[in-house]
Amino acid sequence: MSRIGVFVCHCGENISRTVDVERVARAAEKISGVAYACDYKYMCSDPGQNLLKKAVSEHNLDGIVVAACSPRMHEKTFRKAADAAGLNPYLVEMANIREHCSWVHEDKEEATAKATEIVTMLVERVKMNRKLQPITVPVTKRALIIGGGIAGIQAALDIADCGHQVVLVERDPSIGGHMAQLSETFPTLDCSQCIMTPKMVDAANHPNITLHTYSEVENVEGYIGNFQVTIRKKARSVDMDKCTGCGVCMAKCPQKKIPNAFDKNLGMRSAIYVPFPQAVPNTPVIDRENCTWFKSGKCGVCQKVCGPGAVDFTQEDQLIVESIGAIVVATGFELYSINEKPKGSAIKGYGEFGHGKIPDVIDGMTFERLASASGPTGGKIVRPSDGKEPKQIVFVQCVGSRAREKGISYCSKICCMYTAKHTMLYHHKVHDGQAYVFFMDARTPGKGYDEFWRRSIEEEQAVYIRGAVSRLYEKGDKIVVMGSDISLGIQVEIEADMVVLATAVQPRTGAELLAQKLGISYDGYNFYSEAHAKLRPVECATAGVYLAGACQGPKDIPDTVSQASAAAAKVMTLFSKDKLEREPIVAKVREAGCVACFYCKKVCPYGAVEEKEIRDRQGNLIKVVAYVNPGVCGGCGTCQATCPSKSVELDGYTDEQIIAQIEAL
Amino acid sequence: MPTKNLLNYSYYPGCSLHASGKEYDESTKELFKSLRIGLKEVPDWICCGATPAHNVDELLSLSLCAKNLELSEQVEGDLAVACAACFSRLKTAQHKLEESDEKRKQVAYALDAELAIDKPVKHLLEILAKDYGLERLGEAVKNPLAGLKVACYYGCLLTRPADVPQLDCAEAPTIMERVITAAGAEAVSWSHRLECCGANFTLSRPGVVINLSGQILESARRAGADCIMVACPLCHANLDIRQKEIEEAGDTIYNLPVLYMTQLLALATGAAPSKLGFDSMIVSPLPLLKEKNLL
Repeated sequence: MSRIGVFVCHCGENISRTVDVERVARAAEKISGVAYACDYKYMCSDPGQNLLKKAVSEHNLDGIVVAACSPRMHEKTFRKAADAAGLNPYLVEMANIREHCSWVHEDKEEATAKATEIVTMLVERVKMNRKLQPITVPVTKRALIIGGGIAGIQAALDIADCGHQVVLVERDPSIGGHMAQLSETFPTLDCSQCIMTPKMVDAANHPNITLHTYSEVENVEGYIGNFQVTIRKKARSVDMDKCTGCGVCMAKCPQKKIPNAFDKNLGMRSAIYVPFPQAVPNTPVIDRENCTWFKSGKCGVCQKVCGPGAVDFTQEDQLIVESIGAIVVATGFELYSINEKPKGSAIKGYGEFGHGKIPDVIDGMTFERLASASGPTGGKIVRPSDGKEPKQIVFVQCVGSRAREKGISYCSKICCMYTAKHTMLYHHKVHDGQAYVFFMDARTPGKGYDEFWRRSIEEEQAVYIRGAVSRLYEKGDKIVVMGSDISLGIQVEIEADMVVLATAVQPRTGAELLAQKLGISYDGYNFYSEAHAKLRPVECATAGVYLAGACQGPKDIPDTVSQASAAAAKVMTLFSKDKLEREPIVAKVREAGCVACFYCKKVCPYGAVEEKEIRDRQGNLIKVVAYVNPGVCGGCGTCQATCPSKSVELDGYTDEQIIAQIEAL
Repeated sequence: MPTKNLLNYSYYPGCSLHASGKEYDESTKELFKSLRIGLKEVPDWICCGATPAHNVDELLSLSLCAKNLELSEQVEGDLAVACAACFSRLKTAQHKLEESDEKRKQVAYALDAELAIDKPVKHLLEILAKDYGLERLGEAVKNPLAGLKVACYYGCLLTRPADVPQLDCAEAPTIMERVITAAGAEAVSWSHRLECCGANFTLSRPGVVINLSGQILESARRAGADCIMVACPLCHANLDIRQKEIEEAGDTIYNLPVLYMTQLLALATGAAPSKLGFDSMIVSPLPLLKEKNLL
């Protein structure tokens, strides 16, 4: 005979307002197998928990039902209390009489009857609960960081400084990301390169960091603490060990007219190149699509001039497998392109701005490259079309952002601030020029942000016009900006020399493909989803994967760095223990009944089901069965619902228990 | 012996095409005859409600359009519409009624009938460019408009709002240019293709029209156009009838003929110029057409 204790909570008045809790407790006493029942105003409080602990020993309880809120709220609290009282925590169940009862009903009689039934069901279930022990899995103390921008570098340095191994994977030939492209940064106008490049060097030289540039994550297997990650190191065609970074190859390469993507195609580079002079590593890459040797088998000048003999045309992609305990995803963002979009894309592009065909209509990042001292113009702000200095410049905010009709409804967060910065940079370099900004709202919540924005107007003479731009068109060598000034209620036209569009921040193209490899979720725009918007902002719902930077949503540098350090802290918490404890609510296969149909494997959202061979002592194969890896199993029960031979069951939610619950009704 | 039609449509001309935009109606019929496209006018059609109806009473505006769509069921073939405003109203009504059960109920009650609003509504441009096809249109050209520089003017309603007419890209359409180049003309690239002409303000605030239509004429001239091609009777009225006043206000001379796309296409497909209403236009296109040897 079971000895179950039932503890009915008032939850202040949340439950007792519509449920007669005392009557529920009295009714519970009468259920067969219940040894003790009581009610209390706040069961989760310290005295409430003590009540439970005392009852365990006084009444020698072997199971507990707490009739209170949702298990998501306080199951852990009461299991901990039971554990402290010497009762296996998995013998405690919550009867949800708040969310499922008192909050949704008005009639006290009916609500009380329903609460009693819920309690009865849970009592029947607890009777069949087994004592479970937490699952422990080993932790490989080696972190993978995907993305070598400021987010990835910050997370890598924090984890590495803590003494753990870090593998940093970057798709481009150099780390640095977007921050390396910026000229100055708001709200202090310090030079981006000056604060970024030392960090890049630190990351490259750190004894605990292994850098894989020009590489991509090919495949991810395993689970928290125990991932196996395959990394594709693309063929650089230059031996990184031999190359001294002297740059002779680049100087001699006859192919010099290739638009440099790092400079937003404003500058040119050679076919063997580093994207920018401060690149880390400072080892060139051969762009095989544009290299004469790879196109026609002739040339090979770089190989001939290379002193150390580092150029290697025969290099091939390499696959490296790394054992990893935790993954930080920091893949960053890209900017909305106003060009015509392929049919079927939710993104519409901007026909009214000429679909990107007017040469002096540029985006914010292109302006950064023009303003940057290390940019293609050496920091001179000039028009891409004719190299003339623009005397009238128009900035347009919210291009693509906050524009549902263009496919994006969110705010890109950084544009108000960087546009204010652009007006300043422009004013500092073109003293007789005039900057105009079309804006919807100025969103400047951040330390020193609003002061910075005000400065652009009050000290740097930017003219802000509240209103939208309807059309851009070329008139001679000018660009006519047609817009509205909603403060004055008039239409305005400005003949500009150059127009800078603050285009929306979007996740990287293909972000969803990486998410699928990692088994993490993403939203309708392909931004990666955090486990909880407020309380778990850097963790993914998938255990062991963390987020940093703009891949989760538009973010400026301070926010990105904060989130990267937060993700690093989460990784370090995980690495602080040698073994990881996990909830033992996992599925188990009854091997005798398993018919190896592997429907469970197909439906498992966690990829926890494996195929296991059963052999006799001579090694002869007897049968193949499903095996649920307890380290990976998320305890959802989908396999149990799917199994045609009823051979897989979730501990605590067995068919027997569920039927007992139904029968108790 | 009459040859069989290649395509057949029911036809909703709308009020303007029976009045100030008569030459649009005449040239449409001529063009479709020469392309062997059947057009049968919807019997007893009524006004689409135009701008006033939807400004004062949405139910009235939806009901007028729903009634016209119901009437169109008497004639076979998709509903061909020439006027950009009628086209916009009919498409908007279909769009709004599709989205809202509540509005459908109200309109059905107002009309005291089951709604029959599903007939596809097509603008002439859509029929020519998509149903008939540019290739076939090119083959039908007997009198190519060679050397004629045309500024294709869309106005507000042909392509907007983006999710309603779905005729072409809302902000950078090319359908008019594609149609007229198929007839051998040259479409100029210009800035004011989609700007408003001032529309209904032509009577209440003519100053607005003189300013906005003036900018359109200025832009067309800057692009080196010989004429402006339109597909909307109100745009036509503003650009053609008001052109003299615009010239006076701006102290300049444009002398830019404003032609319906059907007039130009009918001319290209060999219709008799005398049937295309060229003489009822304020800025006569005849000197231009003679100069280009198109008459």
